[in-house]
Amino acid sequence: MYIVKNAFKSITRNKLRNILIGVIVLIISVSACVSLSIQQAAEVAKEDTLSNLSVTAQISFDRKKAMEDMQQKSTSDDSDSGSDKSFDRGKFDFDVLQGSSLTLDDYMKYTKALKNGDSYYYSGAVSLNATGDLLPYGTSEEDESDSSSSSKSSDNKSSGNSSDKNSQTPPNMPSGDSSNSNNSGGGPMGGMPFQVNQGDFTITGYSSYDAMLSMFGEDGSYKISDGEMFDETSEAYECVISNELATYNNLKVGDTIKLANPQYEKETYKLKIVGIYTNSDSSSEEDNRFKMNDPANNIYMNYNAFSKIIAASEKADNKTTDSDGNKTSAALSENLAFTYKFASVENYEKFADKVYDLGLSDDYKVSSSDLQSYENSLTPLETLSGTAMWFFFIVLAVGGIILITLNIFNLRERKYEVGVLTAIGMKKAKVAMQFVTEIFIVTFIALIIGTSVGAAVSVPVTNTLLQNQISSSQQSDSKVSKNFGFENSDNNGRPQGGPGMSGGEMNPFGKSTKAADYVDSVSSATNFMVILELVLVGLFLTIVASLAALISIMRYEPLKILSNRS
Amino acid sequence: MSTLKLDNISYHYEKNSAEVLDNLSMDFESGKIYTIVGKSGAGKTTLLSVLSSLARPTDGKIFLNEEDVAKIDRYKFRSKYVGVIFQNFNLLTHLTALENVVLSMDISGKKFDRPKKEIAAELLEKVGLSPDEAKRRVLKLSGGQQQRVAIARALSYDPDIILADEPTGNLDGETQDEIINIFRMLADEGKCVIIVTHSPDVAKASDVQYELKKGKRV
Ligand SMILES: Nc1ncnc2c1ncn2[C@@H]1O[C@H](COP(=O)(O)OP(=O)(O)OP(=O)(O)O)[C@@H](O)[C@H]1O
Ligand SMILES: [Mg+2]
Repeated sequence: MYIVKNAFKSITRNKLRNILIGVIVLIISVSACVSLSIQQAAEVAKEDTLSNLSVTAQISFDRKKAMEDMQQKSTSDDSDSGSDKSFDRGKFDFDVLQGSSLTLDDYMKYTKALKNGDSYYYSGAVSLNATGDLLPYGTSEEDESDSSSSSKSSDNKSSGNSSDKNSQTPPNMPSGDSSNSNNSGGGPMGGMPFQVNQGDFTITGYSSYDAMLSMFGEDGSYKISDGEMFDETSEAYECVISNELATYNNLKVGDTIKLANPQYEKETYKLKIVGIYTNSDSSSEEDNRFKMNDPANNIYMNYNAFSKIIAASEKADNKTTDSDGNKTSAALSENLAFTYKFASVENYEKFADKVYDLGLSDDYKVSSSDLQSYENSLTPLETLSGTAMWFFFIVLAVGGIILITLNIFNLRERKYEVGVLTAIGMKKAKVAMQFVTEIFIVTFIALIIGTSVGAAVSVPVTNTLLQNQISSSQQSDSKVSKNFGFENSDNNGRPQGGPGMSGGEMNPFGKSTKAADYVDSVSSATNFMVILELVLVGLFLTIVASLAALISIMRYEPLKILSNRS
Repeated sequence: MSTLKLDNISYHYEKNSAEVLDNLSMDFESGKIYTIVGKSGAGKTTLLSVLSSLARPTDGKIFLNEEDVAKIDRYKFRSKYVGVIFQNFNLLTHLTALENVVLSMDISGKKFDRPKKEIAAELLEKVGLSPDEAKRRVLKLSGGQQQRVAIARALSYDPDIILADEPTGNLDGETQDEIINIFRMLADEGKCVIIVTHSPDVAKASDVQYELKKGKRV
């Protein structure tokens, strides 16, 4: 026991030297505590986010790959005509780039790759026109941006009605004629694998309420304000419409609306309104050039009923005649969005592998925007965590070297002490133990202080560093956004319809709008794990610092030391 | 009865160098004071090193009560059986006189019937150090005072054999007499006291005198 007592005495006798060692250990432990805490915070944030994450995935046509394939093919075809690698526009095969759409049967086939706890849902979207008195919301020029104006005179309403109607689809004339300009551009929908005929309304049929969670769920801005949501399983022609549309057309729950195929006005469908929803996200900022893009003109129903409409349209087999006299089918074609939902990331990854075994062509890819945005949201924290890890190892290495050096000098000074102690019969091992005890005590006192300081500052320091990290990555993001011409990051040309509209590839620049989704703060950083790691750091430093002491003490011969001295 | 017996001891520091101790045979019995005299460089300090197990003889054997010292743990031997008063004291200079003495008692691992501090303080007073000096760092004591701390330290854990290398070299005549009295008391208690000295007075006070000349007994 006298060894510990002597160690303490020795520490207090050599205050300056031990304060120096203590300060170094203090610096190491504060730095180590902060950097370990950052790493731990990243780990915790990752787990937290992951446990709350519902992974959903879509299968979509891999246009990038198709493009590359086509390019490769065209250059290899041209190989005999010279080394000119320029792309022949004539060989640009849009059909290939469109890809063939997967059918519901295809999608269903791949559900076999799902595991327990996984689920799927889907929705179909189609564009339909208004008929009779029914007017799509936002028709009148005067009240384009003002939703309260529906109470204006009925004159205004009807005049707006007729003029707009004329310009859009002249009555008594089959739509899809030359006058139906909506059909040509594609507008923001151009990126879709389908050509959707532009009508007044977007009718979306959902396979289950699950499919609507992003709108009506906890985080959604939609709410049924009158009536109720359509029956999930029924095949009845029931729908819910927006509050704006209802007010505008003076519609109530229980009323029936009549919608027409935009390409063939005589083909009509009656839907009973069972509910009216409000969307707390204002629609005023939307791109209103196309009424179907106005969320107010979204009509929701269940997929069973929806698919009956599509089937009926196909059966009717109406034809339109274009300006060249060619007849083409006017049947409604749905824009299908199929979503697989996974209980875990692991399930998703297995699914992404397995679908190809189930016959999915290589031309399609499985992607998860949730996972992508999840990964994106953690990027700053993970970057910081990586930096923190390097910082930790550097601090540890530099600190270790300083401690070793200090202890070597220390030991030279104490050589005589070792000589005397062993000469009067103290075992070398005990001398070494005393020296190690001294280092241990100093190290752990400094470590405890350093950990307390580190724990106190780690949360604010982590958050500050994280903010810097985020703002620097945002800067580069917004620069990219600017370079692409998106001055206003709120609206970079992404179609803003319901989730049913966002089937295939989404806006590739979506990342720039995701800045707000970064994990931008941590609440607790220093936890039991960190403290445990710091204890290991302390032991490591003690061992490293003692190593020199142990080796030289064991080699010392008292007679030599003492006779050298005298 | 023989306490310590040297049997044809030889010692040299470096390989192939001349023998510092050359075929020495000596007997030391308990209850007697021995003095070893000889010119400077005769090998007196080296002989004490060998006796205290700080150095192992390169040839020959040492017996403690018929037991080969080479078989006894040298740390145990030094910390319990022998008390050494080094020529250059070998005190821990940044410790107080008292701490130096207590440290030796700690290291010996022996049990004491009273608190170590009390015994140490008494011993220091017995060799002529005031309580104030006992609490002073060795660094701040005079050569003679340091020598007395070294003596107190060697006696503190009650060893059977006392080895003293010029213990009175730095002391005035009066103090020297007091120290010799202490040694005489110890011998009467049955201890074996071996003193290296240049002082004829000390030599005269001893029971047996050995003279060394170039590592050989004269
Ligand atoms: N550590 C050592 N290494 C090599 N030679 C040594 C060492 N210590 C002493 N010697 C040599 O051994 C011989 C005996 O030295 P020792 O110290 O025993 O003499 P001494 O009789 O004690 O002399 P003094 O009366 O001056 O103290 C001397 O010639 C000395 O040079
Ligand atoms: Mg000598």
